[in-house]
Amino acid sequence: MTLRNIRLGALVVAIGSLAVGIVMTLTEDHHEKAEITIGEHTTRTAGGLTFNIDTIISTLVAGALVLLLGFLARRALTKDADDHVPTKLQLIWEAIVGQVNKQVEDNLGKVHPYAAPLAISLFFFILFCNWLEILPTELNHDTHLLPAPTADTNLTYALALVTIVSVWVYGIRTKGAKGYFKHFFEPFPVMFPLNLLEELIKPVTLALRLFGNIFAGGIMLALITLMPIYILWAPNLLWKGFDAAIGVIQAFIFALLTVLYFAMAGAGHGDDHGGHGDEVADLDDHVGDDEAASAERTPVPAS
Amino acid sequence: MALPAILTQLTLAAEEGEKETSNFLIPNGTFFVELGAFALLFYLLARYVIPPINKAMEARQDAIRAEFEEVEAAKQQASSAEEEYKTQLADARKEANRLREGAREEGAQIVAELREQGEAEKARIVESAHAQIAAERQQALASLRAEVGSLATTLAGRIVGESLEDDERSARVVDRFLSDLESFEVAKAQDGVG
Repeated sequence: MTLRNIRLGALVVAIGSLAVGIVMTLTEDHHEKAEITIGEHTTRTAGGLTFNIDTIISTLVAGALVLLLGFLARRALTKDADDHVPTKLQLIWEAIVGQVNKQVEDNLGKVHPYAAPLAISLFFFILFCNWLEILPTELNHDTHLLPAPTADTNLTYALALVTIVSVWVYGIRTKGAKGYFKHFFEPFPVMFPLNLLEELIKPVTLALRLFGNIFAGGIMLALITLMPIYILWAPNLLWKGFDAAIGVIQAFIFALLTVLYFAMAGAGHGDDHGGHGDEVADLDDHVGDDEAASAERTPVPAS
Repeated sequence: MALPAILTQLTLAAEEGEKETSNFLIPNGTFFVELGAFALLFYLLARYVIPPINKAMEARQDAIRAEFEEVEAAKQQASSAEEEYKTQLADARKEANRLREGAREEGAQIVAELREQGEAEKARIVESAHAQIAAERQQALASLRAEVGSLATTLAGRIVGESLEDDERSARVVDRFLSDLESFEVAKAQDGVG
Protein backbone atom coordinates (compact mmCIF):
# COMPACT_ATOMS: atom_id res chain seq x y z
CA MET A 1 0.00 0.00 0.00
CA THR A 2 1.45 3.31 -0.99
CA LEU A 3 1.41 6.53 0.92
CA ARG A 4 -1.03 7.95 -1.62
CA ASN A 5 -3.51 5.16 -0.91
CA ILE A 6 -3.25 5.70 2.81
CA ARG A 7 -3.90 9.40 2.39
CA LEU A 8 -6.87 8.71 0.18
CA GLY A 9 -8.26 6.19 2.66
CA ALA A 10 -7.83 8.62 5.54
CA LEU A 11 -9.65 11.30 3.61
CA VAL A 12 -12.55 8.96 2.82
CA VAL A 13 -12.81 7.87 6.46
CA ALA A 14 -12.74 11.48 7.66
CA ILE A 15 -15.44 12.65 5.29
CA GLY A 16 -17.53 9.57 5.99
CA SER A 17 -17.40 9.96 9.75
CA LEU A 18 -18.16 13.63 9.42
CA ALA A 19 -21.29 12.80 7.38
CA VAL A 20 -22.40 10.01 9.73
CA GLY A 21 -21.81 12.27 12.74
CA ILE A 22 -23.86 15.08 11.31
CA VAL A 23 -26.70 12.71 10.41
CA MET A 24 -26.63 11.13 13.87
CA THR A 25 -26.64 14.44 15.74
CA LEU A 26 -29.45 15.73 13.60
CA THR A 27 -31.64 12.66 13.97
CA GLU A 28 -31.02 11.74 17.59
CA ASP A 29 -32.29 13.47 20.64
CA HIS A 30 -29.74 15.38 22.60
CA HIS A 31 -29.16 13.04 25.50
CA GLU A 32 -27.64 14.15 28.73
CA LYS A 33 -23.86 14.27 28.76
CA ALA A 34 -22.47 11.68 31.08
CA GLU A 35 -20.72 13.06 34.10
CA ILE A 36 -17.04 12.26 34.37
CA THR A 37 -16.39 10.38 37.55
CA ILE A 38 -12.94 9.65 38.87
CA GLY A 39 -11.62 6.83 40.96
CA GLU A 40 -14.54 4.65 40.06
CA HIS A 41 -13.89 0.94 39.75
CA THR A 42 -15.81 -2.25 39.46
CA THR A 43 -15.18 -3.77 42.84
CA ARG A 44 -15.59 -7.08 44.63
CA THR A 45 -15.16 -7.55 48.33
CA ALA A 46 -13.58 -10.58 49.92
CA GLY A 47 -12.34 -11.07 53.44
CA GLY A 48 -12.90 -7.46 54.36
CA LEU A 49 -10.80 -6.18 51.50
CA THR A 50 -12.03 -4.41 48.42
CA PHE A 51 -10.62 -5.44 45.08
CA ASN A 52 -10.80 -3.36 41.93
CA ILE A 53 -11.67 -6.06 39.46
CA ASP A 54 -11.07 -3.98 36.35
CA THR A 55 -7.59 -3.01 37.51
CA ILE A 56 -6.76 -6.59 38.36
CA ILE A 57 -7.97 -7.88 35.00
CA SER A 58 -6.04 -5.29 33.04
CA THR A 59 -2.98 -5.93 35.21
CA LEU A 60 -3.22 -9.60 34.33
CA VAL A 61 -3.61 -8.78 30.66
CA ALA A 62 -0.58 -6.47 30.67
CA GLY A 63 1.48 -8.94 32.67
CA ALA A 64 0.47 -11.77 30.37
CA LEU A 65 1.47 -9.72 27.33
CA VAL A 66 4.86 -8.91 28.81
CA LEU A 67 5.44 -12.54 29.75
CA LEU A 68 4.26 -13.73 26.33
CA LEU A 69 6.66 -11.41 24.54
CA GLY A 70 9.41 -12.26 26.99
CA PHE A 71 9.04 -15.98 26.53
CA LEU A 72 8.69 -15.61 22.78
CA ALA A 73 11.99 -13.74 22.78
CA ARG A 74 13.51 -16.41 25.00
CA ARG A 75 12.32 -19.12 22.63
CA ALA A 76 13.64 -17.19 19.65
CA LEU A 77 17.11 -16.90 21.11
CA THR A 78 17.40 -20.38 22.57
CA LYS A 79 15.93 -22.12 19.55
CA ASP A 80 18.81 -21.93 17.11
CA ALA A 81 22.23 -21.59 18.66
CA ASP A 82 24.12 -21.60 15.39
CA ASP A 83 22.11 -18.84 13.81
CA HIS A 84 23.46 -15.51 15.02
CA VAL A 85 20.75 -13.46 13.33
CA PRO A 86 18.35 -12.24 16.05
CA THR A 87 14.61 -11.89 15.52
CA LYS A 88 12.98 -8.47 15.71
CA LEU A 89 11.32 -9.24 19.03
CA GLN A 90 14.64 -10.35 20.38
CA LEU A 91 16.21 -7.12 19.18
CA ILE A 92 13.60 -5.05 21.01
CA TRP A 93 14.22 -6.92 24.23
CA GLU A 94 17.94 -6.72 23.74
CA ALA A 95 17.76 -2.99 23.10
CA ILE A 96 15.85 -2.41 26.37
CA VAL A 97 17.91 -4.87 28.38
CA GLY A 98 21.12 -3.41 26.96
CA GLN A 99 20.08 0.15 27.76
CA VAL A 100 19.02 -0.68 31.30
CA ASN A 101 22.18 -2.72 31.87
CA LYS A 102 24.23 0.23 30.70
CA GLN A 103 22.34 2.60 33.01
CA VAL A 104 22.81 0.24 35.94
CA GLU A 105 26.47 -0.21 35.13
CA ASP A 106 27.04 3.54 34.87
CA ASN A 107 25.32 4.24 38.16
CA LEU A 108 26.12 1.18 40.25
CA GLY A 109 29.52 0.30 38.83
CA LYS A 110 28.38 -3.05 37.47
CA VAL A 111 25.32 -4.84 36.15
CA HIS A 112 23.72 -5.64 39.44
CA PRO A 113 21.93 -9.01 39.28
CA TYR A 114 18.89 -7.69 41.11
CA ALA A 115 18.61 -4.02 40.18
CA ALA A 116 18.90 -4.52 36.44
CA PRO A 117 16.15 -7.15 36.10
CA LEU A 118 13.96 -5.09 38.42
CA ALA A 119 14.32 -2.00 36.26
CA ILE A 120 13.72 -4.01 33.11
CA SER A 121 10.60 -5.65 34.53
CA LEU A 122 9.30 -2.31 35.75
CA PHE A 123 9.85 -0.72 32.37
CA PHE A 124 8.08 -3.39 30.35
CA PHE A 125 5.24 -3.88 32.80
CA ILE A 126 4.50 -0.17 33.17
CA LEU A 127 4.81 0.33 29.42
CA PHE A 128 2.20 -2.29 28.64
CA CYS A 129 -0.06 -1.13 31.46
CA ASN A 130 0.09 2.41 30.09
CA TRP A 131 -0.57 1.30 26.56
CA LEU A 132 -3.74 -0.55 27.54
CA GLU A 133 -5.27 2.92 27.81
CA ILE A 134 -4.95 3.28 24.05
CA LEU A 135 -7.09 0.25 23.29
CA PRO A 136 -10.71 1.34 22.71
CA THR A 137 -12.24 -1.10 25.20
CA GLU A 138 -14.65 1.32 26.81
CA LEU A 139 -17.98 -0.15 25.72
CA ASN A 140 -19.95 2.66 27.30
CA HIS A 141 -19.25 5.09 30.03
CA ASP A 142 -19.80 2.51 32.76
CA THR A 143 -17.96 -0.42 31.30
CA HIS A 144 -14.30 0.00 30.57
CA LEU A 145 -12.92 -3.46 29.92
CA LEU A 146 -9.25 -2.61 30.06
CA PRO A 147 -8.48 0.67 31.78
CA ALA A 148 -4.77 1.36 32.27
CA PRO A 149 -4.01 -0.34 35.59
CA THR A 150 -1.38 2.32 36.19
CA ALA A 151 -4.25 4.80 36.50
CA ASP A 152 -5.02 3.09 39.79
CA THR A 153 -2.89 4.02 42.79
CA ASN A 154 -3.05 0.44 44.02
CA LEU A 155 -0.70 -0.65 41.24
CA THR A 156 1.64 2.31 41.45
CA TYR A 157 1.89 2.06 45.24
CA ALA A 158 2.72 -1.61 44.89
CA LEU A 159 5.47 -0.95 42.35
CA ALA A 160 6.88 1.89 44.42
CA LEU A 161 6.89 -0.32 47.51
CA VAL A 162 8.78 -3.07 45.70
CA THR A 163 11.26 -0.51 44.42
CA ILE A 164 11.89 1.33 47.66
CA VAL A 165 12.17 -1.80 49.79
CA SER A 166 14.65 -3.22 47.27
CA VAL A 167 16.61 0.03 47.42
CA TRP A 168 16.71 0.00 51.20
CA VAL A 169 17.80 -3.62 51.30
CA TYR A 170 20.45 -2.91 48.69
CA GLY A 171 21.71 0.11 50.61
CA ILE A 172 21.94 -1.77 53.88
CA ARG A 173 23.67 -4.72 52.24
CA THR A 174 26.12 -2.53 50.39
CA LYS A 175 27.14 -0.21 53.20
CA GLY A 176 26.11 -2.22 56.25
CA ALA A 177 23.25 -1.16 58.51
CA LYS A 178 25.44 1.33 60.34
CA GLY A 179 26.87 2.84 57.22
CA TYR A 180 23.49 3.07 55.58
CA PHE A 181 21.69 4.75 58.47
CA LYS A 182 24.63 7.06 59.03
CA HIS A 183 23.88 8.87 55.79
CA PHE A 184 20.63 10.13 57.27
CA PHE A 185 22.72 12.31 59.56
CA GLU A 186 24.91 13.74 56.86
CA PRO A 187 26.13 16.29 56.18
CA PHE A 188 24.79 17.51 59.57
CA PRO A 189 22.74 15.64 62.17
CA VAL A 190 20.22 18.49 62.00
CA MET A 191 19.36 17.32 58.49
CA PHE A 192 17.99 14.02 59.79
CA PRO A 193 14.27 14.94 59.51
CA LEU A 194 14.74 16.21 55.97
CA ASN A 195 16.75 13.16 54.93
CA LEU A 196 14.18 10.85 56.43
CA LEU A 197 11.38 12.76 54.74
CA GLU A 198 13.18 12.56 51.42
CA GLU A 199 13.56 8.83 51.78
CA LEU A 200 9.86 8.42 52.59
CA ILE A 201 8.73 10.77 49.84
CA LYS A 202 10.66 8.89 47.17
CA PRO A 203 8.17 6.01 46.81
CA VAL A 204 5.20 8.36 47.09
CA THR A 205 6.46 10.54 44.26
CA LEU A 206 7.28 7.46 42.20
CA ALA A 207 3.76 6.14 42.62
CA LEU A 208 1.87 9.39 42.23
CA ARG A 209 3.86 10.65 39.25
CA LEU A 210 3.02 7.54 37.28
CA PHE A 211 -0.56 7.45 38.48
CA GLY A 212 -1.14 11.14 37.80
CA ASN A 213 0.19 11.05 34.26
CA ILE A 214 -1.76 8.01 33.17
CA PHE A 215 -4.87 8.97 35.07
CA ALA A 216 -4.80 12.41 33.45
CA GLY A 217 -4.48 10.67 30.09
CA GLY A 218 -7.67 8.75 30.86
CA ILE A 219 -9.49 11.91 31.90
CA MET A 220 -8.41 13.57 28.67
CA LEU A 221 -9.87 10.67 26.74
CA ALA A 222 -13.12 10.97 28.69
CA LEU A 223 -13.27 14.69 27.98
CA ILE A 224 -12.64 14.07 24.32
CA THR A 225 -15.53 11.60 24.20
CA LEU A 226 -17.84 14.41 25.32
CA MET A 227 -17.17 16.15 22.05
CA PRO A 228 -19.59 15.77 19.14
CA ILE A 229 -18.93 12.52 17.35
CA TYR A 230 -18.10 14.08 13.99
CA ILE A 231 -15.15 15.97 15.46
CA LEU A 232 -14.23 13.55 18.23
CA TRP A 233 -12.00 11.29 16.14
CA ALA A 234 -9.39 13.95 15.43
CA PRO A 235 -8.38 14.94 18.99
CA ASN A 236 -8.89 11.32 20.01
CA LEU A 237 -6.35 10.18 17.46
CA LEU A 238 -3.91 12.92 18.38
CA TRP A 239 -4.28 12.37 22.09
CA LYS A 240 -3.83 8.60 21.84
CA GLY A 241 -0.64 9.10 19.89
CA PHE A 242 0.55 11.54 22.51
CA ASP A 243 -0.60 9.21 25.27
CA ALA A 244 1.48 6.40 23.79
CA ALA A 245 4.56 8.61 24.03
CA ILE A 246 3.65 9.55 27.61
CA GLY A 247 3.33 5.85 28.39
CA VAL A 248 6.89 5.24 27.18
CA ILE A 249 8.27 8.26 28.98
CA GLN A 250 6.60 7.39 32.29
CA ALA A 251 7.80 3.79 32.11
CA PHE A 252 11.30 5.04 31.32
CA ILE A 253 11.24 7.56 34.17
CA PHE A 254 10.07 4.97 36.68
CA ALA A 255 12.81 2.53 35.66
CA LEU A 256 15.49 5.22 35.53
CA LEU A 257 14.57 6.60 38.95
CA THR A 258 14.67 3.09 40.35
CA VAL A 259 18.23 2.73 39.11
CA LEU A 260 19.15 6.17 40.43
CA TYR A 261 17.71 5.39 43.86
CA PHE A 262 19.77 2.23 43.91
CA ALA A 263 22.83 4.29 43.04
CA MET A 264 22.07 6.82 45.78
CA ALA A 265 21.56 4.12 48.37
CA GLY A 266 24.85 2.54 47.38
CA ALA A 267 26.94 5.67 47.04
CA GLY A 268 25.84 7.77 49.98
CA HIS A 269 23.74 10.90 49.89
CA GLY A 270 22.42 11.95 46.52
CA ASP A 271 24.34 15.23 46.55
CA ASP A 272 27.63 13.42 46.91
CA HIS A 273 27.04 11.18 43.97
CA GLY A 274 29.37 12.01 41.14
CA GLY A 275 30.76 15.03 43.01
CA HIS A 276 33.92 13.45 44.28
CA GLY A 277 35.38 11.06 41.80
CA ASP A 278 37.72 9.37 44.25
CA GLU A 279 35.06 8.78 46.82
CA VAL A 280 32.70 7.33 44.26
CA ALA A 281 35.43 5.11 42.90
CA ASP A 282 36.22 3.87 46.40
CA LEU A 283 32.59 3.18 47.07
CA ASP A 284 32.27 1.42 43.76
CA ASP A 285 35.15 -0.82 44.71
CA HIS A 286 33.47 -1.46 47.98
CA VAL A 287 30.24 -2.30 46.17
CA GLY A 288 32.09 -4.71 43.96
CA ASP A 289 33.59 -6.49 46.95
CA ASP A 290 30.32 -6.84 48.74
CA GLU A 291 28.34 -7.97 45.74
CA ALA A 292 30.30 -11.15 45.42
CA ALA A 293 28.97 -12.15 48.81
CA SER A 294 25.50 -10.69 48.57
CA ALA A 295 24.76 -11.93 45.07
CA GLU A 296 24.18 -15.39 46.45
CA ARG A 297 21.65 -14.12 48.89
CA THR A 298 19.64 -12.12 46.38
CA PRO A 299 16.18 -13.58 45.99
CA VAL A 300 16.48 -13.75 42.23
CA PRO A 301 19.44 -15.65 40.92
CA ALA A 302 21.52 -13.95 38.28
CA SER A 303 21.44 -16.78 35.83
CA MET B 1 -15.79 -7.55 68.96
CA ALA B 2 -15.93 -4.12 67.41
CA LEU B 3 -13.61 -4.92 64.58
CA PRO B 4 -15.59 -7.78 63.01
CA ALA B 5 -18.68 -5.66 63.24
CA ILE B 6 -17.04 -2.81 61.38
CA LEU B 7 -15.66 -5.23 58.81
CA THR B 8 -19.06 -6.77 58.13
CA GLN B 9 -20.58 -3.34 57.89
CA LEU B 10 -17.91 -2.30 55.40
CA THR B 11 -18.47 -5.47 53.44
CA LEU B 12 -22.18 -4.84 53.35
CA ALA B 13 -21.65 -1.27 52.29
CA ALA B 14 -19.35 -2.43 49.56
CA GLU B 15 -21.79 -5.04 48.35
CA GLU B 16 -24.62 -2.58 48.27
CA GLY B 17 -23.26 -0.73 45.26
CA GLU B 18 -21.21 -2.68 42.76
CA LYS B 19 -19.81 0.60 41.51
CA GLU B 20 -18.35 2.43 44.41
CA THR B 21 -16.64 5.76 44.40
CA SER B 22 -13.93 6.02 46.99
CA ASN B 23 -10.90 8.19 47.50
CA PHE B 24 -8.66 7.10 44.70
CA LEU B 25 -5.50 7.96 46.62
CA ILE B 26 -6.21 5.38 49.32
CA PRO B 27 -5.11 1.88 48.35
CA ASN B 28 -7.42 -1.05 48.96
CA GLY B 29 -7.11 -4.81 48.63
CA THR B 30 -6.10 -4.47 45.02
CA PHE B 31 -2.75 -3.32 46.32
CA PHE B 32 -1.84 -6.81 47.48
CA VAL B 33 -2.99 -8.39 44.25
CA GLU B 34 -0.85 -5.94 42.30
CA LEU B 35 2.09 -6.57 44.60
CA GLY B 36 1.80 -10.31 44.05
CA ALA B 37 1.25 -9.92 40.33
CA PHE B 38 4.30 -7.76 39.88
CA ALA B 39 6.40 -9.96 42.13
CA LEU B 40 5.44 -12.96 40.02
CA LEU B 41 6.15 -11.09 36.79
CA PHE B 42 9.48 -9.89 38.13
CA TYR B 43 10.43 -13.37 39.25
CA LEU B 44 9.54 -14.95 35.91
CA LEU B 45 11.31 -12.29 33.87
CA ALA B 46 14.41 -12.24 36.06
CA ARG B 47 14.55 -16.01 36.20
CA TYR B 48 13.63 -17.13 32.72
CA VAL B 49 13.71 -14.24 30.27
CA ILE B 50 16.46 -11.76 31.09
CA PRO B 51 19.40 -14.13 31.74
CA PRO B 52 19.13 -15.85 28.34
CA ILE B 53 18.83 -12.45 26.67
CA ASN B 54 21.94 -11.27 28.47
CA LYS B 55 23.69 -14.47 27.57
CA ALA B 56 22.69 -14.17 23.93
CA MET B 57 23.86 -10.58 23.82
CA GLU B 58 27.17 -11.48 25.39
CA ALA B 59 27.54 -14.43 23.05
CA ARG B 60 26.91 -12.23 20.06
CA GLN B 61 29.30 -9.59 21.35
CA ASP B 62 31.91 -12.27 21.91
CA ALA B 63 31.29 -13.66 18.44
CA ILE B 64 31.69 -10.24 16.87
CA ARG B 65 34.79 -9.55 18.93
CA ALA B 66 36.25 -12.91 17.94
CA GLU B 67 35.42 -12.25 14.32
CA PHE B 68 37.17 -8.92 14.42
CA GLU B 69 40.16 -10.49 16.10
CA GLU B 70 40.20 -13.11 13.40
CA VAL B 71 40.05 -10.47 10.72
CA GLU B 72 42.85 -8.58 12.43
CA ALA B 73 44.93 -11.74 12.66
CA ALA B 74 44.26 -12.54 9.03
CA LYS B 75 45.25 -9.02 8.07
CA GLN B 76 48.47 -9.31 10.02
CA GLN B 77 49.16 -12.69 8.52
CA ALA B 78 48.57 -11.32 5.07
CA SER B 79 50.82 -8.36 5.69
CA SER B 80 53.54 -10.58 7.13
CA ALA B 81 53.18 -12.89 4.13
CA GLU B 82 53.48 -9.90 1.85
CA GLU B 83 56.55 -8.79 3.76
CA GLU B 84 58.04 -12.23 3.40
CA TYR B 85 57.18 -12.28 -0.27
CA LYS B 86 58.81 -8.91 -0.72
CA THR B 87 61.99 -9.92 1.06
CA GLN B 88 62.11 -13.13 -0.92
CA LEU B 89 61.63 -11.21 -4.11
CA ALA B 90 64.41 -8.82 -3.12
CA ASP B 91 66.64 -11.77 -2.23
CA ALA B 92 65.90 -13.41 -5.54
CA ARG B 93 66.69 -10.19 -7.36
CA LYS B 94 69.93 -9.82 -5.48
CA GLU B 95 70.81 -13.43 -6.19
CA ALA B 96 70.01 -12.98 -9.87
CA ASN B 97 72.14 -9.87 -9.96
CA ARG B 98 74.96 -11.66 -8.26
CA LEU B 99 74.71 -14.57 -10.68
CA ARG B 100 74.60 -12.23 -13.65
CA GLU B 101 77.59 -10.31 -12.36
CA GLY B 102 79.48 -13.55 -11.78
CA ALA B 103 78.60 -14.83 -15.21
CA ARG B 104 79.73 -11.59 -16.75
CA GLU B 105 83.00 -11.70 -14.89
CA GLU B 106 83.50 -15.30 -15.77
CA GLY B 107 82.71 -14.55 -19.40
CA ALA B 108 85.14 -11.68 -19.41
CA GLN B 109 87.77 -13.87 -17.85
CA ILE B 110 87.15 -16.60 -20.40
CA VAL B 111 87.35 -14.09 -23.20
CA ALA B 112 90.56 -12.68 -21.78
CA GLU B 113 92.01 -16.12 -21.38
CA LEU B 114 91.04 -17.07 -24.86
CA ARG B 115 92.41 -13.85 -26.17
CA GLU B 116 95.67 -14.46 -24.39
CA GLN B 117 95.73 -17.98 -25.67
CA GLY B 118 94.99 -16.69 -29.15
CA GLU B 119 97.71 -14.12 -28.85
CA ALA B 120 100.15 -16.77 -27.78
CA GLU B 121 99.05 -19.04 -30.60
CA LYS B 122 99.33 -16.22 -33.04
CA ALA B 123 102.77 -15.34 -31.78
CA ARG B 124 103.78 -18.97 -31.98
CA ILE B 125 102.41 -19.33 -35.49
CA VAL B 126 104.04 -16.10 -36.59
CA GLU B 127 107.26 -17.17 -34.97
CA SER B 128 107.20 -20.52 -36.63
CA ALA B 129 106.26 -18.89 -39.93
CA HIS B 130 109.14 -16.51 -39.55
CA ALA B 131 111.48 -19.30 -38.78
CA GLN B 132 110.19 -21.30 -41.72
CA ILE B 133 110.48 -18.32 -43.98
CA ALA B 134 113.97 -17.63 -42.77
CA ALA B 135 114.90 -21.24 -43.27
CA GLU B 136 113.37 -21.33 -46.69
CA ARG B 137 115.03 -18.09 -47.55
CA GLN B 138 118.31 -19.46 -46.35
CA GLN B 139 117.70 -22.61 -48.33
CA ALA B 140 116.70 -20.59 -51.37
CA LEU B 141 119.73 -18.40 -50.91
CA ALA B 142 122.02 -21.40 -50.69
CA SER B 143 120.45 -23.08 -53.71
CA LEU B 144 120.47 -19.80 -55.57
CA ARG B 145 124.03 -19.23 -54.68
CA ALA B 146 124.94 -22.70 -55.93
CA GLU B 147 122.83 -22.65 -59.03
CA VAL B 148 123.26 -19.00 -59.98
CA GLY B 149 127.02 -19.44 -59.72
CA SER B 150 127.07 -22.45 -61.96
CA LEU B 151 124.57 -20.96 -64.35
CA ALA B 152 126.34 -17.67 -64.51
CA THR B 153 129.73 -19.28 -65.01
CA THR B 154 128.32 -21.55 -67.63
CA LEU B 155 126.68 -18.53 -69.28
CA ALA B 156 129.78 -16.39 -68.99
CA GLY B 157 132.01 -19.27 -70.11
CA ARG B 158 129.81 -19.69 -73.11
CA ILE B 159 129.92 -15.95 -73.82
CA VAL B 160 133.64 -15.51 -73.33
CA GLY B 161 134.35 -18.94 -74.63
CA GLU B 162 136.59 -19.57 -71.79
CA SER B 163 135.91 -22.15 -69.31
CA LEU B 164 135.27 -20.82 -66.04
CA GLU B 165 135.35 -24.23 -64.60
CA ASP B 166 137.85 -23.12 -62.04
CA ASP B 167 135.83 -23.26 -58.93
CA GLU B 168 137.80 -20.80 -56.96
CA ARG B 169 137.64 -18.10 -59.56
CA SER B 170 134.00 -18.63 -60.39
CA ALA B 171 133.08 -18.52 -56.80
CA ARG B 172 134.88 -15.24 -56.40
CA VAL B 173 133.09 -13.78 -59.40
CA VAL B 174 129.69 -14.93 -58.23
CA ASP B 175 130.27 -13.57 -54.80
CA ARG B 176 131.30 -10.20 -56.16
CA PHE B 177 128.19 -10.19 -58.35
CA LEU B 178 125.94 -11.02 -55.54
CA SER B 179 127.39 -8.46 -53.21
CA ASP B 180 127.09 -5.88 -55.93
CA LEU B 181 123.53 -6.87 -56.38
CA GLU B 182 122.89 -6.56 -52.69
CA SER B 183 124.53 -3.19 -52.40
CA PHE B 184 122.63 -2.01 -55.42
CA GLU B 185 119.40 -3.12 -53.84
CA VAL B 186 120.26 -1.44 -50.58
CA ALA B 187 121.11 1.78 -52.41
CA LYS B 188 117.88 1.56 -54.33
CA ALA B 189 115.94 1.06 -51.15
CA GLN B 190 117.72 4.01 -49.57
CA ASP B 191 116.95 6.11 -52.59
CA GLY B 192 113.34 5.12 -52.30
CA VAL B 193 113.33 6.06 -48.63
CA GLY B 194 115.32 9.23 -49.25
